[in-house]
Amino acid sequence: MLTSIIITTHNRPHLLARAIESARLAGTAIELIVVDDASADETASVCRALPGIKYVRLERNQQVAGARNIGLLASSGRYVTFLDDDDLRLPRSLDEQVQLLDTNEQAGLVYGQAVVRDDSTERVYPLCWVQGDVFWKLVVQNFVPCGSVVFRRSCLDRVGLLDSYLAGLDDWDLWVRIASLYPVIALEKPVMIWRRSTPVSEQGTSLAASIVSRAVQQFQSSWMKLPRAVSGTAEMRRIAWQQFSANMAAHLIWETIRSLNHRDAWQAARNISTVGRVGPVAVARLVKQHLQLRTSERNVF
Amino acid sequence: MPRTSIIIPTFNRPQLLPRAVESARAAGKDVEIIVVDDASVDETASVCSELNGVKYIRLEHNQGVAGARNVGILASTSEYIAFLDDDDLRLPGSLDQQSELLAANPDIGFVCGAMLLADQEYTLTGDISVPPQGHGDRFWELLELDFPVMPLCVLIRKECFMKVGLLNSRLRGIDDWDILVRIAELYPVLVLADPVGIYRQPTVSSGQGSSSQASQLYHALAHQRQLFQLPRVQLATRAQRRRARRRTVNRVADTLLWNAAGLVRERAFNSAVTNVITALRLNPLRALRPHALKKLDQLLVGARF
Repeated sequence: MLTSIIITTHNRPHLLARAIESARLAGTAIELIVVDDASADETASVCRALPGIKYVRLERNQQVAGARNIGLLASSGRYVTFLDDDDLRLPRSLDEQVQLLDTNEQAGLVYGQAVVRDDSTERVYPLCWVQGDVFWKLVVQNFVPCGSVVFRRSCLDRVGLLDSYLAGLDDWDLWVRIASLYPVIALEKPVMIWRRSTPVSEQGTSLAASIVSRAVQQFQSSWMKLPRAVSGTAEMRRIAWQQFSANMAAHLIWETIRSLNHRDAWQAARNISTVGRVGPVAVARLVKQHLQLRTSERNVF
Repeated sequence: MPRTSIIIPTFNRPQLLPRAVESARAAGKDVEIIVVDDASVDETASVCSELNGVKYIRLEHNQGVAGARNVGILASTSEYIAFLDDDDLRLPGSLDQQSELLAANPDIGFVCGAMLLADQEYTLTGDISVPPQGHGDRFWELLELDFPVMPLCVLIRKECFMKVGLLNSRLRGIDDWDILVRIAELYPVLVLADPVGIYRQPTVSSGQGSSSQASQLYHALAHQRQLFQLPRVQLATRAQRRRARRRTVNRVADTLLWNAAGLVRERAFNSAVTNVITALRLNPLRALRPHALKKLDQLLVGARF
């Protein structure tokens, strides 16, 4: 069965060729789609020199989600996976995932682990994996690395395309919608290398505050309105919100520390101001947990 | 592979849908009909299963009209894309006529035609809405809301989406205007004088949106600022941009005032007041100038006798 690998790129020709090469080695029956999101540099000429890819050039920048949608429009595979231009697929990783989807007809998507590469460190994410009906876990936290997912194209006919308004969490939103209707499979091994950005590499994490605001809005006005969430009990929705807001608050605090480490006081201030809006209750709970942890440590010694 | 796909998004209107599908079938010989059911909660699904030769897509999560149209585009296999609402009709042979024009003019982005207006029972009112004729660059007219065209009358080359992106699903009610502006920025447009479709005009009581016309136009004006970021507008001089903006605001204010007169005639006083207030907010001097008041008075007097 043909799998489409959709690589979206914007002004990074030096990284792109490596990503494409890694995708080429990832599977046997594959179709490579490169969507050039209106790059203003030599990306076009680099791509035209590469054999065996389908090159689509957007003349007007559509952001990652819009470019991925165009990739979907240009592709024809039964299964689809997205790859960012700075990430890498591991050799033969796709074949294994595709086989899992072939044998589990019900499943909508399969995800795997990512090797997260920082400037100096390397770790594997996620460490705990969940399978089957993951809807309530997935609305709380995005434990699915985007590039590790292979999903069935037919899912889109039931849940719709990516929402280009949700910059930075369009993928999470799609996985939530798929998981609300289909079981999910986890492959317990690394399938990709994910270059984690630093705030200075201007890759989008600097927008942590606005991503979190949008996620909160999406959680309340869309995810909790899905038929699946509505059919759950009010108690389930309440617990999901508690865990979700705690995660968002923790994420923002973590990003604030990162910004401070990179001496970006402006970003830090923005993040902190968002924390207050997202969930003062969640922050209070985090602080309480932290203090309890402290006191229990003291008791031990 | 069919040459033309016609995408019909539908939501909870099983009694109207079959008529739209039949009109689409008669509109061309080589047509792929795609019905996108936007998570209807009634018998739409069973009605669709009885329609022959239709590609039926059932969304489980409501995506709004633009989102459903995008799913239809993704499912289509042809080169040209037409949109049809579930309560409008296509005229026989109209898709063939338009697709031949697109095939004969490979530089054209989309071809649009005129439309016949009908009431809620599909009885023709005798009015026809013809876009300004001519072939070529219509970008500024579209951007300034000076080019009356409904998605019903348009046939778009699918390749255009690959250059400018898909429909913006967050723009409720104006996603079609937005995509046509974005396409016209890069491609010339061809305009037909012949009618290609029948538009079922909303009335105040049909709850179909004419009452919200004021808010929709207001929304369009807000979105125009984003469309001003397009390179063609950015390359224009500042004076040109300012003039384009002023012309649009004035046009919207005028439209709202004239329509307020029509709404008074229909005894929809709330909507009429909303229209007048919005017009005053947009440009108080223009709304209160003698010419505007005179015209308004004429419309109202005409209504009374």
